[in-house]
Amino acid sequence: MKQRTRFSRTVVGGAALSLMLSLSGCGAGSDAADGDTIHVLVYGDAANKVEKELVATFNETSKVKAVLDTIPGADYQAKLQTIINSKQAPDVFFNWGGGSIKPFVDAGLLLPLDPFIAKDPGLKAKFLPSVFNSAVVDGTSYGIPMRGTQPVLLFNNGKVLKDAGVEPPETWGDLLAAVEALKADGVTPIALGGGDRWPTLMWFEYLYDRIAGPELFRKALDGDREAWASPDSRKALGKIKELVDAGAFGTNYDSVKFTDQGSPTLLATGKAAFELMGSWEYSTQQDAHPDFAKSDLGYSAFPSVEGGKGDRANLVGNTNNFYSVLKKTKHPQAVAEFLKLMYSDQFVKAQLGIGNLPTTTNTERFLDTAASPEFAKFQYDMVKAAPAFQLSWDQAYPQSAATPMYQALQQFFNGSMDEDAFIEAMRALPAS
Amino acid sequence: MTRTATPSAADGTFDKADSPGIGAGRPGFLWAAPAAVFFALFAIVPLIMVAVLSFARWDGLSSPEFAGLDNWKLLFDDPVMIKSLWLSVLLTVLGVLVQTPLSILLGVWAAGHQRNRAVLSAIYFVPMLLSVAAVSVLWRAVLDPNFGVPAQATWLFGDGNLFGTQAGAIGVLVFVSTWQFTPLHTLIYQGAARAVPQVLYQAAQIDGAGTVRQFVHITLPQLRNSIITSMILMVVGGLTTFDTVLILTQGGPGSDTTISAYYMYQKAFKSFDYGSASAIALLLVLVSTLISLIVVRLSGYDKMRSTMEGL
Repeated sequence: MKQRTRFSRTVVGGAALSLMLSLSGCGAGSDAADGDTIHVLVYGDAANKVEKELVATFNETSKVKAVLDTIPGADYQAKLQTIINSKQAPDVFFNWGGGSIKPFVDAGLLLPLDPFIAKDPGLKAKFLPSVFNSAVVDGTSYGIPMRGTQPVLLFNNGKVLKDAGVEPPETWGDLLAAVEALKADGVTPIALGGGDRWPTLMWFEYLYDRIAGPELFRKALDGDREAWASPDSRKALGKIKELVDAGAFGTNYDSVKFTDQGSPTLLATGKAAFELMGSWEYSTQQDAHPDFAKSDLGYSAFPSVEGGKGDRANLVGNTNNFYSVLKKTKHPQAVAEFLKLMYSDQFVKAQLGIGNLPTTTNTERFLDTAASPEFAKFQYDMVKAAPAFQLSWDQAYPQSAATPMYQALQQFFNGSMDEDAFIEAMRALPAS
Repeated sequence: MTRTATPSAADGTFDKADSPGIGAGRPGFLWAAPAAVFFALFAIVPLIMVAVLSFARWDGLSSPEFAGLDNWKLLFDDPVMIKSLWLSVLLTVLGVLVQTPLSILLGVWAAGHQRNRAVLSAIYFVPMLLSVAAVSVLWRAVLDPNFGVPAQATWLFGDGNLFGTQAGAIGVLVFVSTWQFTPLHTLIYQGAARAVPQVLYQAAQIDGAGTVRQFVHITLPQLRNSIITSMILMVVGGLTTFDTVLILTQGGPGSDTTISAYYMYQKAFKSFDYGSASAIALLLVLVSTLISLIVVRLSGYDKMRSTMEGL
């Protein structure tokens, strides 16, 4: 009996305590009446160093102070979605352009930046057009590039290529020949982190571009679902099948991931010869396999496809990240001033210093100061010369499309879905 | 679970032995008020909100719009949804089939007095102490096709494409949950096996029954209530499995391990389609309740027949 009383007392006490805790938790979120600040929300990672510097520079001269808020990487999009239409919404926020801001534009939350640009043409003219355009929604500008560009390149292990007597491929035919030669050498020709699914997507993006040109995807994104059933689309799918069936990726690629270092290690240790990956492969290898990155890591543009409509200079990938502005910001003038810093020399130098490649026109002058000047120049020249730079499909489509898109890509790639079913799945995606 | 089980056990079993006396009475509702408020605030209210949302279209940005039965109609036309329900049930059934025999045997063994038993039981309990996320990340690394165990044991794993086939991925999920959760159920059975009166075994020995017969005819029947408890825990746990799928397979390959709980997460926090996600959540609540009720009915758990009758 005694014990029972003591037990209930503990329970009651515990419940009261947790009630108090949860109540005080609610209080902490309330606003601390900050009239003269703008909140800048960014994706939390190593690049925040530069953003902090720029905010400090801005605050030196501005009366309205900027406050930098960060959300740890993986949760960024979900958290943003929940706060963007609430009192806690920031004034300026980080995004990927394209489909990542489309729902906010549709909900009337974002401030068109064209008036800013009219006052300061530099906000548009100082950026590479192929990059700037991926944050243009329905002809209106909504984003200013604010980090580095990340085109997708075909990386290789130079030593493995040499041993097999293979050169980085210029054409699709070269690539198929290289696959045969490398297989004969007992090497997996291409490392692929299929478990992450977005690395698989890169192969679709490039083959569709090279065969059908960039227009096919644009049409599909704009709502012309029949584009997926066009002869060019079928031809691209045929090429993907051809490569998979040739054993270019081995058989267990769906169990390999890029994110847990699986596929980069295959490339670095010479178990695989190529990997199609965003430019971050370079810094990934520098971190994990510095010797390999220094001596044997090679890179080239994606090969052309004979008879295809796409230019070999076309790129796919993450064009850049962008700052967008909320309509309800109280200090549009201060925000405009803040955005101007994104093409300043200080910004460019700081971004290059941490290994990012900015996409401003003045970047060229500072390329020698980059962590790896040769690689930075190669990328910058490619991005500058690219007739088209397609934003990754999973970013270009609205977010609700990503999951079904990944499922279809993976299933077509590993053969559990045929061409017609794949086309059907892509047609069913919610376009813009 | 324990809160509801304690009073009935006290009423049913201990009454005979040491009755607390007539004046004791039962505690008033007031004592349950904090827990009831808590439950209402964090379980009932959200449940009602989910039910309302399941009839709305909402992306978290604008205010929710009434959508009638649209979400529900889409749900039943969605092949991935139907598949996800079957996958949830399949994973649960496989989990019960694999974990129950293992944990009964281990639990009964651990209830004995052999040498090194305490040390081995303690070691065996370790997986239970690790977080599900940590365990999943660990196994993901161990099962890497190129640098993990499968690369060394090709005779067993072939090309090591465990996460690339449906059978392989389901196998991994069942295996990892077994590794993680068997210790808990072992503990339940260990306690229950210790509570079996020694007189039963002594009587059986006099009658000439061997170890196996003692196990089948005394231990197993005596464990009956524990088996049901453990199975209900497994069924509820299995139907709501989420973290292992999130970290190990992300529902892949394709949608081959997209169980309902994970599909709900994808709809809500990847696609920002809170209406459909709420419909899935509600469906999951209904299905889980139904299955739990069936298990309780079939097993006679609701009647709580004592295994001590006649002793």
